[in-house]
Amino acid sequence: MIDHQKFTDWIDKWLRNELTETERLEFETLRRSDPVLAQRALEQQQLAKALKNYGQRTDFRSRLNRIHARLDMDAVRDEASQVSKVRKLHRNGGTIRQLWQTYRPILAVAASVALITTFGTLMLVRQYQSSHKQQEQYSMMRRDLQAIRRSQNAILQDLNARERALQINPGQVAGSGFLLSPDGYLVTNTHIIQDADSVYIQSTHGDIYKAKVVYADRKYDLAILQVHEDSAFRVKTVLPYGFEAGPTDLGERVFTLGFPREEIVYGEGYLSSKTGYRGDSTAYQVAISVNPGNSGGPLLDEKGNVIGIISGKQTSTEGATFAIKTDYLFRAISAIPTDSLKNNSIRMSRKNGLAKLARKDQIKKIQESVYMVKVFKHEK
Amino acid sequence: MTESNRLHVSDDQLLAGLANGSDEMLEELYRRYFPMVLHLIQNNSGTEDDAKDIYQETLIVLYEKVTSDSLELHCQLKTYLYSVSRRLWLKQLSKRSRNGYSLIDTEDLADVDADLIDHEARDRQFDLMADSLDRLGEPCRTLLEDFYIRHLSMQDITEKFGYTNADNAKTQKYKCLMRLKRLFFSVFKEE
Repeated sequence: MIDHQKFTDWIDKWLRNELTETERLEFETLRRSDPVLAQRALEQQQLAKALKNYGQRTDFRSRLNRIHARLDMDAVRDEASQVSKVRKLHRNGGTIRQLWQTYRPILAVAASVALITTFGTLMLVRQYQSSHKQQEQYSMMRRDLQAIRRSQNAILQDLNARERALQINPGQVAGSGFLLSPDGYLVTNTHIIQDADSVYIQSTHGDIYKAKVVYADRKYDLAILQVHEDSAFRVKTVLPYGFEAGPTDLGERVFTLGFPREEIVYGEGYLSSKTGYRGDSTAYQVAISVNPGNSGGPLLDEKGNVIGIISGKQTSTEGATFAIKTDYLFRAISAIPTDSLKNNSIRMSRKNGLAKLARKDQIKKIQESVYMVKVFKHEK
Repeated sequence: MTESNRLHVSDDQLLAGLANGSDEMLEELYRRYFPMVLHLIQNNSGTEDDAKDIYQETLIVLYEKVTSDSLELHCQLKTYLYSVSRRLWLKQLSKRSRNGYSLIDTEDLADVDADLIDHEARDRQFDLMADSLDRLGEPCRTLLEDFYIRHLSMQDITEKFGYTNADNAKTQKYKCLMRLKRLFFSVFKEE
């Protein structure tokens, strides 16, 4: 066992590269064979290195201090102030750059927040709008008969010639319409009769007459029909209801008759707004329940005056039905070219024989003038 | 010192001079970038003495990197020194409890994180060694310094300290070294 002091001495010599060749060989062998000695060699090496570093730094410090002592501080101060002068010349650029470097992380965060907020809001708004659009769809209250063809066939069992024809080629769209004048002019919605090959009207008794479209106004969604040279159509002397073109007040009790199914259906409600879908000033909003097929039906006030034509409803809202104001009916009629009417002007009456009747009796009289409008189209 | 008698040497020559211990080059280096650091420190609530301390520590970082052959300069020497000084000054400011202090910069910055981490490790070692040597006391301290730092031979030490023979000196050195080892490794656990 080699004694500590001698081994320490060897390590020092080894570190200084002063070992003779034989000593070095013996030292290496010892180091390799004895881990304890190897560890001691390592520690001493570290210690010597730390001492050397310590000395080096102390020495360097004193050199720096010597240099600093010799330094012409006035010149240095001068130069330092020139640094700031040069900077001041470019103050604008310098300041902006300083601000940029100082606030860069904050700016980055702020910018990301702004971006996320902006696009998030945009997305939410768009999502809301699109979902809302779908919900707020204005639905036109015509009835697609295709789906109920079978039941319709079952109902129409009286076989007269016209009904047989219907069974062969049943109507594809149905709505309501009502007489404008006793001699066979009717009004309904354009959306019911558009693209029609032929139009028939059916009374509450089940009588069917062929009608032709005299005029169709897309803007107001109003169409004028005329019973087409049908001798079976009994010309009335006078219509039970009158037409009221003036504005009707909010809260007015109103009712309607229409054909959401094969049978005439009565509906009652009140006038809830003087404008229609999305502020449409040509229509009223009415709190009344309607279904597909009610379109084109008359909207009457308490006294039995026609104040509008049912045209559609807002699907997202309960009881928001829209009716075109009678005023626009008059406008539409006056826009009809006279030759389409074959010089027979539409004689519309403001007289109203219903005012004093009870509702039941009013309805009995009115329903005679309300027709189901059946429309036939080519299969596309 | 005026412009005319300033040395016109490149940064590379300055670094080479630093590595081989040229006083002339070190002086030039010191002179060249001190105004920049002085300006930085004075503009950020420091004094001239602060500037001196920070700049000297910066040069120590550079010097120890150069002498250990581990300097990898990816930017101008000026930028490197500025960045190191800036970081050291920020650290100093935070020690003086001025948290979140942001400096007004005039120069570009370089990434000196790794170098400063190395420097901190060396700093700890240095402080530990200084402390150990202080506690070791004389004559052990001078004896070990003479042997390990100034690389005097045992013969020189024997004469300097007046030992009767070299073996006596060796025994003395051995005892001193063992004491220093205990002091140093009681704290030092690295590598």
